[in-house]
Amino acid sequence: MKTVLEGSHAVSEAVRMARVQVMSAYPITPQTHIVEALSEYVADGRMDARFICVESEHSAMAAVIGAASGGVRTFTATSSHGLALMHELLHWSSAARLPIVMAEVNRALGPGWNIWMDQTDSLAQRDTGWIQLYCEDAQEALDTTLQGFHLAESINLPVMVVLDAFFLSHTYEPVDVPGQSEVDRFLPALRPRIRLDTRTPFAMSQMAPPGVYMEMRRDIQSAMERVPDCFGRTEAAFEEVFGRRYGAVEAVACENADVILVMTGTAASTCRQVVEDLRSEGEKIGMLKLKMFRPFPVSAIRKLLGGTSKVAVVDRNFSFGASGIFAQEIRAALCNHPNHPPVFGYIAGLGGRDITPDILKEIYRRTRDTDHPQAESVWVGLTTEKEST
Amino acid sequence: MTLEQEIHDDLPMYISRSEISTEVNKTGAWRYVRPGYDEKTAPCSRACPAGEDIARIEMLVGQGMVHAAWETLLRENPFPAICGRVCFHPCEGACNRQEMDQAIAVHHLERFIGDTAIRERFEVPHPFYGDEAEQARRRAAGKKIAIAGAGPAGLSAAYFLTRLGHACDVFDADDEPGGVLRWGIPWYRLPEDVLKIELSRLLDMGVRIYCNQPVTPDFLKQAKDRYDGVFLGCGYGRSLRMGIPGEEMARDGLEFLHEVRAGEDACLQGTAAVIGGGNTAVDVARTLVRMGVQTTILYRRRRSDMPAFGHEAEMALEEGVSLVERVAPIQIEAAGNECRLTLQEMKTTDMDTRTGRVRVVPDGDRIRRMRFDQVFSAIGAEPGENWLIPPEDSESVLSVSHCVLQDGDPPLVFGGDLATPVKSVADAVGSGKQAAMILDTYFHEGRDAIPRRLADCRVGHGQALSMEIYLGGKRRERNPHEVRFAEINTDYFFTAERQPHPVLNPPERIRAFEEVEGVLSKESAMMEAARCFNCGICNECDNCRLYCPEVAVYIGATRCIDFDYCKGCGICVVECPRNAMSLEEEGP
Repeated sequence: MKTVLEGSHAVSEAVRMARVQVMSAYPITPQTHIVEALSEYVADGRMDARFICVESEHSAMAAVIGAASGGVRTFTATSSHGLALMHELLHWSSAARLPIVMAEVNRALGPGWNIWMDQTDSLAQRDTGWIQLYCEDAQEALDTTLQGFHLAESINLPVMVVLDAFFLSHTYEPVDVPGQSEVDRFLPALRPRIRLDTRTPFAMSQMAPPGVYMEMRRDIQSAMERVPDCFGRTEAAFEEVFGRRYGAVEAVACENADVILVMTGTAASTCRQVVEDLRSEGEKIGMLKLKMFRPFPVSAIRKLLGGTSKVAVVDRNFSFGASGIFAQEIRAALCNHPNHPPVFGYIAGLGGRDITPDILKEIYRRTRDTDHPQAESVWVGLTTEKEST
Repeated sequence: MTLEQEIHDDLPMYISRSEISTEVNKTGAWRYVRPGYDEKTAPCSRACPAGEDIARIEMLVGQGMVHAAWETLLRENPFPAICGRVCFHPCEGACNRQEMDQAIAVHHLERFIGDTAIRERFEVPHPFYGDEAEQARRRAAGKKIAIAGAGPAGLSAAYFLTRLGHACDVFDADDEPGGVLRWGIPWYRLPEDVLKIELSRLLDMGVRIYCNQPVTPDFLKQAKDRYDGVFLGCGYGRSLRMGIPGEEMARDGLEFLHEVRAGEDACLQGTAAVIGGGNTAVDVARTLVRMGVQTTILYRRRRSDMPAFGHEAEMALEEGVSLVERVAPIQIEAAGNECRLTLQEMKTTDMDTRTGRVRVVPDGDRIRRMRFDQVFSAIGAEPGENWLIPPEDSESVLSVSHCVLQDGDPPLVFGGDLATPVKSVADAVGSGKQAAMILDTYFHEGRDAIPRRLADCRVGHGQALSMEIYLGGKRRERNPHEVRFAEINTDYFFTAERQPHPVLNPPERIRAFEEVEGVLSKESAMMEAARCFNCGICNECDNCRLYCPEVAVYIGATRCIDFDYCKGCGICVVECPRNAMSLEEEGP
């Protein structure tokens, strides 16, 4: 049955039905609504879980690391500066191989203070060993959260479910909320591979000298390399119960397209409309929606973009001194392809600025009309005319 | 169909993990400061004239252990149901919780314990924790004590002396025991059955009370033949005089209260003036409004200067008593069936540094005249007879906080109102306890040992004394350091409203002499007691054990620290919510 839900609460519902046992979080806009609802569920007895109140995001992650080491299902949520504060423990949780799930609401970093949509916070954590899955709407946020537990627990790596600030977190949409018994069918109780137990005590995460450290790191990567397969199986299981699947990447009207826009998050929704509008005008536009960012789905991307004419990556983030982060990754994925297309990099919608259909149309036209991409990113929609051309 | 969650058993997952114990690493070698359990003194218990172990009592009530709380209380005060009604509770004024929200309702919790004990017929705890041999030894070495006055001081002395093994005979001039509790405090504050039940415990212990037998100088002369020691706690039996013309037209307030409690038919009506600002004046006024008399208190200073307990004065005003401040009577004349009062208006000047009260002087020749059907005088009292005034210090006289010992045959202890700095029931109880310690020490260790023994039994650095300490109980291990609010780890406490107790509405109160204040329910009492910080007292919250990074705290007979592994980080001391632990430097 469809229910009108705030994007944040779509995540909360998923966490409730996933029967998470321990949660810990520190409030930060625009994430707060997620854990606010969860704390109420715990207080009301609607969830049989512990909600550990802490004084910082660093402690929140430390608390869920402790709980996950005890072999229970865990969840936390954060945003922006809170995620940055967790940084040290993000490395810890993945290297300890704990299947923690975190909702991360993309928000700009200050100064100047900005609470709105921007992907730089989550992308700055790309090397921490977390699986990252980006969501387009509230339904996908709910579904991806449920899938996140399934995936994390099957491969023993933590999963970050990423949502756009406000465009997704604070927007109400009709959402198909599954029943508990369906969720239980998809997501059985956690069977932990690691579980601290006072009856058979052991210490974990202690000193790893040079003779073993490299092998441990290699194992994390080996697990990461299996994630696309595992995610496929998670999606198959999900589809069997719920009849929906998303894919690590989704190609929209890419066949015979002259220009393919690479999109993430809610802007992908806008782009769907633009593709429809421009196609009806005879323009050959397509879209590649990127759901999975870590591990980067290189082979899927090479299959879909290799041999196409032009690729335009829309980045709602920026790596200072370089370019948009998705553009970097797409270029790296394609560079050894024998027939790789030119990749155009565009920066738009930072700090909560809207990415309108007109902006996407402009990006399309500009790519269509330019033969070779310039080395630097093109910043679209700047109010001061410093746009590099 | 249920989908089994996939587990990849060939999953690459090489992580560091060890089953080797770290016990070989004796981190205790790193230590240069040493934590320890160090129970301290709660400010409430220091402020209690009876030296009750309040922080511990509230800890026990908070855990629902009312019987254990009662036993702890009875080691220091024989009258919880009485004091839980009439005490002016200086403990609450000292409570650290005030700094956070409101003081703990110690007074009403004491009453809850006292009333529960009456309802459930709790027995007085064994004085020597069940050690019958010690009790028999004490009894065999016991002395015979005569006690003058069956008021709170004399009865308290009898209770403690009897527990120490002495035989006590109590003599009282009135025809029933209780002193001020029986004759001075009106029923609506202290119902007669409560008094009788608490006094009956003393009779059950073997205390003999002889009524209608006032102690006289002649009795004292002959006492040495029959008694080894005498306690004089006869109270203040004589009212102070105003020294104004027409004074004989004013009725004595204390006598009036006595008559009312004796059940004499005092059929009063019309209007009345009560002269004075102390507890007796307020009791007289509140008694009069219950008889339907329109009553006005006339006081020479301001309301805030009244020596009456603030709460009592407030209740009197709620019940319709009027108050005229800054007037001093200078004459009473008859005017038909009425009394005409001439009052000098007063004005405040400077603060009297000795009494801490504002000084008042006549405001020029401003005079006020008022008419009343009757006038009562309640401006204070003094010892009934001159020989009851304690002697000045000399070689044979030892003055301590609540008693004066006159050495002789037999030794004579002046106590209660005769010797206490504050004239209150709780101070009288404290005085009786001090007298018991003085006489017991006198008999067993000699007079010279008394000052040291009393000093050892002080609660913290205050004047209150603890019988538990005197008898070598666990309380003697307490550090006298008084816990301050700044030493409470308030991270562990949340603001919580003080639990209200039932109170009659003013119109219901003045209809009769029904008790005004009700008792807390067990649920409320436990909630209220759980608000207590338990300053300086270990309530076994286990924070020390949970926080110890070396897992060096373990539970043996009590909580213990394994110094092989305690590295002296001090986390246990910092995380103790109530300052029941201390750090000290390691010796060389």
